[in-house]
Amino acid sequence: MLEGAKSIGAGAATIALAGAAIGIGNVFSSLIHSVARNPSLAKQLFGYAILGFALTEAIALFALMMAFLILSVFQI
Amino acid sequence: MPIFRRFDENRLNSNKTYSKKSYTTQFAPEPTTTVNPSAASGAQAQALTERAVELRARIHDVLGELMVNRSPDEVLTAAQAVHGESDLIVFLECLLNDLNINGVQSEAFAETWFIAGQAPTIPSPLEQFAILPLIPMNIGHLYFSFTNPSLFMLLTLSLVLLLVHFVTKNGGGNSVPNAWQSLVELIYDFVPNPVNEQIGGLSGNVKQKFSPRISVTFTFSFFRNPQGMIPYSFTVTSHFLITLGLSFSIFIGITLVGFQRNGLHFLSFSLPAGVPLPLAPFLVLLELIPHCFRALSSGIRLFANMMAGHSSVKILSGFAWTMLCMNDLFYFIGDLGPLFIVLALTGPELGVAISQAHVSTISICIYLNDATNLHQSEVVIYN
Repeated sequence: MLEGAKSIGAGAATIALAGAAIGIGNVFSSLIHSVARNPSLAKQLFGYAILGFALTEAIALFALMMAFLILSVFQI
Repeated sequence: MPIFRRFDENRLNSNKTYSKKSYTTQFAPEPTTTVNPSAASGAQAQALTERAVELRARIHDVLGELMVNRSPDEVLTAAQAVHGESDLIVFLECLLNDLNINGVQSEAFAETWFIAGQAPTIPSPLEQFAILPLIPMNIGHLYFSFTNPSLFMLLTLSLVLLLVHFVTKNGGGNSVPNAWQSLVELIYDFVPNPVNEQIGGLSGNVKQKFSPRISVTFTFSFFRNPQGMIPYSFTVTSHFLITLGLSFSIFIGITLVGFQRNGLHFLSFSLPAGVPLPLAPFLVLLELIPHCFRALSSGIRLFANMMAGHSSVKILSGFAWTMLCMNDLFYFIGDLGPLFIVLALTGPELGVAISQAHVSTISICIYLNDATNLHQSEVVIYN
């Protein structure tokens, strides 16, 4: 019973990845937009985009971390 | 794990009720006549015994195939424990069928693992993060052991110090740098950039003061994170305790710097200028919570990146290893898939390790900028 509930909880925790996916897509779509408008700034903008990507990805990893915690922390 | 109960005709013929326990513990050899007590001729008994011996041998063979990486002695003891030297043909055939059809998933095999002292589960991907005391030490009631995190921290530290030592004045220090020297110069030059950009603010003299401290943080995590990617090594930054210690000490330091530079005006960071007075209590709360949460979040970010990345590499390499062990040509070809994914994941993992060092450095700079310059430097950041 507890095992099943843990699995459901861990699975539900990964729903949060949808938000992170939207965020990462948003970062790179903005990068493409900006570079298309002003290609001379491409290098600088790429640095910012990578920074934004890393920050967004970290949020996705919080969800993964929650899933791991749910799976491994609660013992019977 | 009593899963198989032996088929017992005595029980069917008699009216006596047997307790459940008596069946499962009853693995002792019995005379063959119990199988068929009514027609117990000598020739038949002989044939049945031979059949039972053959079945036991086949169970042993099947188990030997299923138990990968185990010594023959272990297979033998496990096989004996499973069939229990039984002469009951029905029981043995049932066991063999189960092993042949279900293979690794069969109940008999689970029982085997249980007897052999290992659960049939896949090893946990979190196993690599175990902290093991290498030199146990206790000072009073405090646990001061020299553990594997300590060892790998010392390794990183010595690596950085050696690298820096060999390229600076004592070792190299050439005006035209060689490869190693330019690497160290590259790392050194990398740090003042974000420091100048972020902390410069309106007062220009701040940047030099904090540059060494931020440089140390960056260099340490820059060398420490990729070191965890070496197989069988230990990732120090994948531990909540260590990253949280780092981020909390930095947070406390930043708060002290803020009070030192701005006095009690530092408290004005929690209230942006031009806010109507009735809104002030809520806004102070709203600004204070994220400010304090920074201490947690910069630690959690580093830890979660390291831990999740390493666990996913471990899980995928576990898939590849399982498929490799399946002894089947189809699976062996299919094994290339997980293997390539593991290889492909290693690259981004190294990228994440390095970019997390960068990100944590930049976020430290941003927090420091908030503390030293309060709200006045937005113009400088976005110029």
